[in-house]
Amino acid sequence: MRITINGRQLDVSGKKTILEVARANGIFIPSLCDHSALVPFGGCRLCLVEIKGRKGYPPACSTYAEDGLDVTTESPALQAIRRQVLELILSEHPHACLICAEKKNCDEYKSTIRKVGEVTGCVLCPNNGRCELQDVVEALKIDRVNFPAAYRNFDVRRDDPFFDRNYNLCILCGRCVRICHEVRGVSAISFVFRGSQAVVGTVFGRPLLESGCQFCGACVDVCPTGALTERASRGEALPDEEDETICPLCSIGCGLKASLRGGRIVSFAPTNAEAVNRGQACVKGRFILRDVVYSPKRILKPLVRQNGELHEASWDEALDFVATKLKGYVGKNLGFISSTQVSLEDMHVFDRFTREVLRTDQIISFRNHSPLASFWKELRMNGQPAELNFELDSISTAKVIVLSGADIVVSHPIIWVEVFRAIKNGAKLVVINGKDSSLERHASFHLRVQAGREFSLFNHLTLKLLENNPENPYSRVNGYETWRESLLNEKKAAFARADINEAEVDLAARLLAEGQPTVFLMGPSVVNSAAASANIRALWNLAQVCGGRLIPLAGENNERGAFEIFSRSSDRVLSVEEALFKISRGEYKSLYLAGPLPVPPDAAVEFLVIQDCFMNENVQRADAVLPAATFAECGGTFVNVEGRIRKFKNIIEPLGEARPDWWIICRMAEKMGAAEFGFENAAEILSDLGRTRPFFEPACHRHQGKGKAVFILDEKKGSGQFPSGESPELAPQRAAIHSSPAASARALDYYRSLNLVEESKGLRKLRGLREK
Amino acid sequence: MEIAKILGEFHGLQKDLIHILHRVQAQFGYIPPEAVAQIAECLKISENEIFGVLTFYKAFSLEPRGQYLVTVCLGTACHVRGGVQIVEEMERKLQVKAGQTTPDKKFTLETVNCLGCCAIGPVVVVNGKYYSHVTLNKVEPIIKEYREAG
Ligand code: SF4
Ligand code: SF4
Ligand code: SF4
Ligand code: SF4
Ligand code: FES
Ligand code: FES
Repeated sequence: MRITINGRQLDVSGKKTILEVARANGIFIPSLCDHSALVPFGGCRLCLVEIKGRKGYPPACSTYAEDGLDVTTESPALQAIRRQVLELILSEHPHACLICAEKKNCDEYKSTIRKVGEVTGCVLCPNNGRCELQDVVEALKIDRVNFPAAYRNFDVRRDDPFFDRNYNLCILCGRCVRICHEVRGVSAISFVFRGSQAVVGTVFGRPLLESGCQFCGACVDVCPTGALTERASRGEALPDEEDETICPLCSIGCGLKASLRGGRIVSFAPTNAEAVNRGQACVKGRFILRDVVYSPKRILKPLVRQNGELHEASWDEALDFVATKLKGYVGKNLGFISSTQVSLEDMHVFDRFTREVLRTDQIISFRNHSPLASFWKELRMNGQPAELNFELDSISTAKVIVLSGADIVVSHPIIWVEVFRAIKNGAKLVVINGKDSSLERHASFHLRVQAGREFSLFNHLTLKLLENNPENPYSRVNGYETWRESLLNEKKAAFARADINEAEVDLAARLLAEGQPTVFLMGPSVVNSAAASANIRALWNLAQVCGGRLIPLAGENNERGAFEIFSRSSDRVLSVEEALFKISRGEYKSLYLAGPLPVPPDAAVEFLVIQDCFMNENVQRADAVLPAATFAECGGTFVNVEGRIRKFKNIIEPLGEARPDWWIICRMAEKMGAAEFGFENAAEILSDLGRTRPFFEPACHRHQGKGKAVFILDEKKGSGQFPSGESPELAPQRAAIHSSPAASARALDYYRSLNLVEESKGLRKLRGLREK
Repeated sequence: MEIAKILGEFHGLQKDLIHILHRVQAQFGYIPPEAVAQIAECLKISENEIFGVLTFYKAFSLEPRGQYLVTVCLGTACHVRGGVQIVEEMERKLQVKAGQTTPDKKFTLETVNCLGCCAIGPVVVVNGKYYSHVTLNKVEPIIKEYREAG
């Protein structure tokens, strides 16, 4: 269709508002309440336009383009109305600075005093210089306010972690309320009271911590004024530089924009750039990441133990020291731990170093068993290919979503955002065994089953589905009859034992039979159980029977990369638990920790090297400590939960003497006399990886920021066979290894060896509240 | 308990929120915090949303109301005939501000914008009973009537 704006003919495709069309074509219409992530609201009345043949002044943000519309965005009448509307808004907003005749000079000579209690004008406001309200006042050339000023005199709310709320600056645009309600599904804030009393608030004015807020920061990012401001950076001057990076704190890998000043990161905020997080993030990436990089626990110099004490050393000394010692353990009694939060490049160098130089076990520190690896192993054992790649869109477009084994609101916040998007489009959510969280109110069913007996529930859902469909093609599949018999035989006992409510299972099965497409999300607690393999098989069968897609959810940012490098083609991987077992039996005389592992105090380790970003409990017994750089200080590649290849570059110089992990290992290898470790940058390592591992081929050809998203290669979709689903005999030794609830609680919030919950009081409060 | 009983009469549908709130208000004279929590759970919406709704409508109050709800009209017609003075007199006599409840929980004083019977203004309503053409002198007797009624 074609519309006319200010005499310009514009082609429009799809359903777009006049405001969107105008923006896309560089035509400015003032607006304050509209936001691209939100449903049109029409609250601020600044975007009014004239449309030929229509009465009145319709708002551009909530009027959709239709063929032949003739729109005028500028006229004396419009200007007058907009000014009046804005003046009305300003009458309740401290506006002295906005209309001050000395504004220009003031900006030049006075810097903003951002650390003040009361904001009585822009010059005292943390938002000064990046404020949408200022921009609109500027655009409409407001120089006076013809209404009596009404300062609302609210107390500034500082009782919550991470951000302050000063509703004296609020213009009631509703963006915060809407993003929390429409996009995050939380509704922690709401418009309360009415008329001149109206304000944004929580139930009974409680702190956000008690209103269900997740502290995702989405409201802070959409607020056009200084009403909502991040506390940690509110005292800082405006950033002088911006750069993009990827959050390393979970498997989503959100695109983040870093604001820097004088080469120091001031804050992180989500970007809109790629179809991963679409402008959303979570409390960790938004509010905690900066303090991770600058944590006082950072190791900044190489340390070497001499005469019983750790002394600072130069890189050369430290590397020489470690290389010489390590030589004595090559090929025997040596354990190497890798983190799953380092880049592909680091992992590739670790992999080659352990194979070619140390000639030892590769130990990869999955804190828990990885759903990816467990799923893949289980299917491979049953002769099935395991499809691991998916796109977040396949979640938001699903009709039924079954979630099991993860509290994704906390562990995979962006997946929750996609699930919620699906729910808003009419999808139904079935939660199996979730913890009670405020957001499970969005679930249609919440099926409970005794932990470790999930397979029983999955199997009976499958059985129900098959029974309800007499023509099911699976009845001819090998093993089906036996499977069915065994289930029917043990049904009563199983239901009683697993605590299953039969009526609910029945209803949920009906739902599964109707909804297409169906997505099954499998989190860590399904595989971190003695019944892991039965659980996976049963869930896979269920997914097959309803033609759904089973997605195992990787937990850590480069878990998929680690799986590809360390697990897919070799069996040199041990879990942390297995490594600890070996340590307790004295099998390792020497340990190289490039990843977190709590070494027990009584471990008989002769030589301990730590390569980490942060001081940790192992340092006091280490023989050498090598400072590694964080993600912010070195470029590289992650593979996120979807299998999407995510490249990032360094945004700051390494702190102190810290160096990228690959650099440390390459130099070490050279000192130990190994050839072919002469890499000087991440790109060289990546092409080496692509040469040796076909799965990483696509990773090497990607030009940052350009073209289509690139995914890692994957196996083809499973053929739909029916793997045996009989209930397993519980393997006791496995049960013992897995049952470490402390580990899984901690597993969520850390970066390398830094425990974020210990570091951030705010996060502690947030998580503490949830555990109650 | 009582809130659960009220909720039991509905079917957990979000569209019934206002009805439920009316029932709770009628039962308790206000909307207690526990009620908000229980309604939220039953209707699967957040407490904050409910709070937004219940503070939007004047019919709901956040604090326990007194035994007698004294409503003084301040609509245009009553206003020009001295409604404001009536409110002030009420405030003096009851020793509370408009919107508040006496410490003995006997009276709650409120104002309203037009009750739709402007011809008989100024109007005062006590628990549904209308008093027309109220003057300053009539304030004391109205209050006395209820104070003595116990
Ligand atoms: S919110 Fe914007 S307009 Fe208001 S005081 Fe702050 S900088 Fe100025
Ligand atoms: S931080 Fe997130 S959850 Fe909390 S109020 Fe803002 S948008 Fe809602
Ligand atoms: S706090 Fe900010 S986003 Fe929320 S309504 Fe006020 S101005 Fe808008
Ligand atoms: S969702 Fe994950 S990747 Fe995104 S900001 Fe949070 S921790 Fe970082
Ligand atoms: S932007 Fe259109 S009404 Fe606010
Ligand atoms: S103004 Fe009082 S009843 Fe209408």
